[in-house]
Amino acid sequence: MALDNKTDFKYIGTRPERPDGLDKVTGKARYGADAYAPGMLHGAVVRSPHAHARIVRIDASKALALDGVKAVVTRADFAQDLEGEDWNLLENTIAGEKVLYDGHAVAGVAATSALIAKDAAKLVDVEYEVLPHVTDVDAAMAEGAPVLRDGAADHSVPDGLHPNVVRYTEFGRGDVEAGFAAADLVIERSFKTEAVHQGYIEPHACLAQLGTDGKGELWCCTQGHWFVRRMCAALLGLEATQLRVTASEIGGGFGGKTTVFIDPIALALSRKSGKPVKLVMSRSEVLKASGPTASASMDVKMGMTKDGKLTAATGTFRMQGGAFPGAPMDMTTMLAFSCYELDNVHHEGFDVMTNRPKQAAYRAPGAPMGAFAVESVFDELCEGLGLDPIDARLKNAVKEGTRSSFGPKYKAVGLIETLEAAKAHPHYSAPLAENTGRGIASGYWMNWGGETSVSLAIGEDGTVQVGVGTPDIGGSRASMALMAAETIGIPYENVRVNVVDTAALGVNEPTHGSRATYASGLATIEAAREAIGKLCQRAADKWGIDVDAVEWKDGAAHPSGPNAGDFEPLSIAEIAGEMGSTGGPITGHHDASPTGFGGSFGTHIVDVHVDPETGRSTVTRYTVIQDAGKAIHPDYVEGQFQGGAAQGIGWALNEEYIYGEDGRLQNDVFLDYRIPVASDLPMIDTVIVEVPNPGHPYGVRGVGETGITPPLPAIACAVSHATGHRMTRLPMSPPRVLRAIQGKGVS
Amino acid sequence: MIKSRLSCLPENNNPAPLLRRIEAAHFGTDRVRRRDFLMDISFRLNGELVSLTDVDPTRSVLDFLREDKGLTGTKEGCNEGDCGACSALVGDAGGVRAQNTCLMMLGHLDGRALVTVEGLAAPDGTPHPVQQALVDHHGSQCGFCTPGFAVTLAAGHLSSDHDIKTLLGGNLCRCTGYAPILRAAEAAATETSPPHLKDALEAPRPDASKEAGPACPGAVDALATLYADHPEATLIGGATEVALDVNKALKDLPFPIFLGQVREFDKIEITEDKITFGAGASIETLRRIMAGHHPGFAEMLTRFGSAQVRAAGTIGGNVANGSPIAETPPPLIALGAELHLRHRDARRNLPLEQYYVAYGQQDRRDGEFIEAVSIPRQKDRLRSYKIARRFDQDICTVLGAFNIHVNVGKVLSARIAFGGMAGVVKRAEAVERALIGRPWTRETVAAALDAFETDFAPISDLRAGADYRREVARNLLLRYWHEDQGTPVAVMGVTP
Ligand SMILES: Cc1cc2nc3c(=O)[nH]c(=O)nc-3n(C[C@H](O)[C@H](O)[C@H](O)COP(=O)(O)OP(=O)(O)OC[C@H]3O[C@@H](n4cnc5c(N)ncnc54)[C@H](O)[C@@H]3O)c2cc1C
Ligand code: FES
Ligand code: FES
Repeated sequence: MALDNKTDFKYIGTRPERPDGLDKVTGKARYGADAYAPGMLHGAVVRSPHAHARIVRIDASKALALDGVKAVVTRADFAQDLEGEDWNLLENTIAGEKVLYDGHAVAGVAATSALIAKDAAKLVDVEYEVLPHVTDVDAAMAEGAPVLRDGAADHSVPDGLHPNVVRYTEFGRGDVEAGFAAADLVIERSFKTEAVHQGYIEPHACLAQLGTDGKGELWCCTQGHWFVRRMCAALLGLEATQLRVTASEIGGGFGGKTTVFIDPIALALSRKSGKPVKLVMSRSEVLKASGPTASASMDVKMGMTKDGKLTAATGTFRMQGGAFPGAPMDMTTMLAFSCYELDNVHHEGFDVMTNRPKQAAYRAPGAPMGAFAVESVFDELCEGLGLDPIDARLKNAVKEGTRSSFGPKYKAVGLIETLEAAKAHPHYSAPLAENTGRGIASGYWMNWGGETSVSLAIGEDGTVQVGVGTPDIGGSRASMALMAAETIGIPYENVRVNVVDTAALGVNEPTHGSRATYASGLATIEAAREAIGKLCQRAADKWGIDVDAVEWKDGAAHPSGPNAGDFEPLSIAEIAGEMGSTGGPITGHHDASPTGFGGSFGTHIVDVHVDPETGRSTVTRYTVIQDAGKAIHPDYVEGQFQGGAAQGIGWALNEEYIYGEDGRLQNDVFLDYRIPVASDLPMIDTVIVEVPNPGHPYGVRGVGETGITPPLPAIACAVSHATGHRMTRLPMSPPRVLRAIQGKGVS
Repeated sequence: MIKSRLSCLPENNNPAPLLRRIEAAHFGTDRVRRRDFLMDISFRLNGELVSLTDVDPTRSVLDFLREDKGLTGTKEGCNEGDCGACSALVGDAGGVRAQNTCLMMLGHLDGRALVTVEGLAAPDGTPHPVQQALVDHHGSQCGFCTPGFAVTLAAGHLSSDHDIKTLLGGNLCRCTGYAPILRAAEAAATETSPPHLKDALEAPRPDASKEAGPACPGAVDALATLYADHPEATLIGGATEVALDVNKALKDLPFPIFLGQVREFDKIEITEDKITFGAGASIETLRRIMAGHHPGFAEMLTRFGSAQVRAAGTIGGNVANGSPIAETPPPLIALGAELHLRHRDARRNLPLEQYYVAYGQQDRRDGEFIEAVSIPRQKDRLRSYKIARRFDQDICTVLGAFNIHVNVGKVLSARIAFGGMAGVVKRAEAVERALIGRPWTRETVAAALDAFETDFAPISDLRAGADYRREVARNLLLRYWHEDQGTPVAVMGVTP
């Protein structure tokens, strides 16, 4: 059996229709809010109108008196003995003694209709003692800032910092002072980014059923139902395997659906009412009380010689991640200088608590902010020294064997290849219109493997079913089917891939960390290989020869080698048709926590036109160039590239959380929290670079996240070049850009 | 906290009368609504006739489709008209269009036809050309937005609308960056529309003359009597504002009156000296008519809300409630529009600017309503500049409308009106005075700029600061002058 890593492919790299394509366009696909159960109740959540307050009293009597109301739950209805991250999660799910942000959940209500539940939620009388609040990261670290929770800091935080600083990191190598002294130009700048939201169009939704016996079922839209199971079991005091969680079709997540917000409340309401409970967030609840990104305040200093070699770099990254520890400052610090070979480098990171919702992951969490600062300074160095920004990057770009700024050496990576492709792309040399600037930036995400379990079974007609545990957000079922088809040598159409529930497989981490196509794909290939082994064995038994003398190719067993004998090949359908009498079902299974995930580099080119009279920026051309290792289904790889760039464009130009003086979110609707529409974007061009990842049988790297890292700096550099003013604050909204043009600063 | 789409002053300044909540009753499994205002309605849904008796006419069509009909292909992404995931095709005498079902009430459906995403494919299951193209071009990633796109594209397909980006301004997709969706639209454009859709979109009662009951008067006289007798009633045009009161603020509308079947309200009359729009003319209709008279106005209106909102929203609804950032009043005022108000049999006419007395206060008595809006015919000198943070589906930060007539080098007349610069839409009278009678030169314009300080003391809000508004207002006058000189301006179209 020759099953070495392949390089010439029959199915992989083609672009077939996805298996769920028609379901998506006809409305058949069932998402979180599309499930109904007999006798089900509707839930609603009572939320804090204050940014920070002590809960004095909760009186639900009026709500309970309303006809149709069946249950009200508060913190008392959840596990009482939690600590650490489980406690944080519970505290964020439903407030205990204090509410910590505008929209923080205080109680849940279940009633016979959604409207009655919402009316009842208004009738729950909560008395608050309002406390001073803080929502800005720099303000929260300053002396005298209101303390969110004393004692929340861990041992990493040095003495003398404000109690809102809850984690701290510092690392580096070499001698940065000597490095700066050796530079011909040193640039130091401060940057700020606002919090943004993943902006998935599907609001969180679930349907929960839980008995007092501790057995339950949950249907929900999530990136990872085993994560949901673990979290809900902890928060409700259940045994993990007693709770069966099914992932619905998912209407986008981008990291924001890797945790729980309403699911535990729905389960608690069900346990209390004895009925299934459906709970769906409104758009404003999503914006106020799910998990937006961190916001950041950063200082970056870099030195460069005349010929473009970096001599030293330092970065300080202060990030707020809401009212709990967890801002991704570790990722920001780690990846900030990840594109460059640096002997002298130093990082410092602060995780700061503020009166905002607990941040959740968002596509390459933490990386875009750091890239914004570092790539902007790199650009300014090139500008100051009169260097071409791609040539200068090529001088410093990391490659296989380079020691990264955060420690380990890189395996095969494709930064240089993306830079060379960028240089060769016609976009890079196209002439620029008036008031238009061009920006270039690179970015990195290291990707992830994670716990993975896949089962594959051969049907009696020789078709194949694959059960995976990673929800399909952007066409991954098509990619799994292509990998299974390629491995077994049967048509793509003969493979069915299902995302199965938590009772059907071992633990699977979510579709996060750009891991699904890599890790579930790897496990699918390995499971297929195991099944092939069994298929070969059945053929060998039938022919009465040794299994080593059977070769599997093009979906059939063939006798192979000098002494195998002269048998007609046995197709998968023929073997499957007899499997009941030849030993029973034929399946393959693979469990792993694969560590051979390969990081992905990308380089983006963007042209931005700025209207000098109003400060409005328009992206006129955009090119994404990224290393995919091996593109299994190129359309869905390009889709990830374009989607990441589109989100980055929104983040750079328009999107931001705006908190008022009162600590309340002012733009809690899509009309005011504006994500790009079709007319805001050009047709985003893509180039797939393929530097195979040696850690995957077919060379796959995750591609989902890297694409959001370069847009922030690329667009900021383009606007800077168009206006002649260095943009150091996001979003670059028209008023901010106009102020910069008029020389009134960028804040 | 519920904000109207068009509110830009702090909540507590908003004196909008609180709706009385009369005794409520529970019925069905769903709503808390008044019993004495139920309605019988009939309409076509995916080709089948549906008749409902005793329904709450303010119930959201989206909820009805999903909860009562199990048509869960229609998605809720925002429940306030911003995302388009809930789009469905609506057919009536006025044609076919996509609308947001989250902003529609059951009362709107009476006598109309509705086709949801489930009804796009032919009865034999053959997908609609736009559906097949979306599959072929990988137009879905997560797919949650896809039903809404399929419906909106099908509407464009029926009307051979090729300005796809404008058509899709009200459909949000967070996953794809839109490129594969646009490619799908292009590919489907040459295919023919499946025949079953034509029948399915046929309104069951094409002459909307039959009165559906007190909530749906069929003639303006009936409306005048009803409203004068019940000044506590809520008039409902396209409901693109009112629906938020019901869905989000959870208000009961004790006495809803749907204006959609008032036959005089759809009338558009063009005479030698004026153009008169019935109050029920949709923003889309206004745009179409204006294209032939004041193309700058029409172009600005292509950036009003989204295709779905323009199809539903009416001129009466936009003008009536006096929002300082409503977008038709500035150009209407610049054109010298008149409002035609009616209370029972008494009619009066009012220059539109005089209707806006102060923030939240309009010159309209209880039981009085807007019957029509008229614009004097004139040479086209109008430009409207909508300044917003996003090209589509955004409400203006500042909207300036300029109508300056010049005779032998001198300014003969000037009407300039701004939204977003004060508590009401307001004329820039000091600026006008600084221009009239003077030579139409850059010097005159430059000298007039400071008069903006006399006219406006703008506020700061989440859209922009007062300084930005002031700055932009000045720049817009300059831009008007430059454009008039034939100097090319740096930006696309009317939306900087
Ligand atoms: C997503 C979205 C985007 C939007 N974008 C814009 C935009 O870009 N620009 C903009 O200006 N607006 C915008 N709007 C607001 C709204 O669509 C417009 O104001 C629209 O014209 C309102 O018309 P309607 O018929 O839907 O009003 P309705 O909601 O039916 O009514 C609005 C108010 O007017 C009253 N009313 C209606 N008709 C009459 C009448 N004949 N006489 C007296 N009173 C009457 C009603 O009682 C109610 O108080 C947007 C709304 C949404 C949901
Ligand atoms: S649900 Fe978003 S527009 Fe209707
Ligand atoms: S495909 Fe996910 S929102 Fe459009």
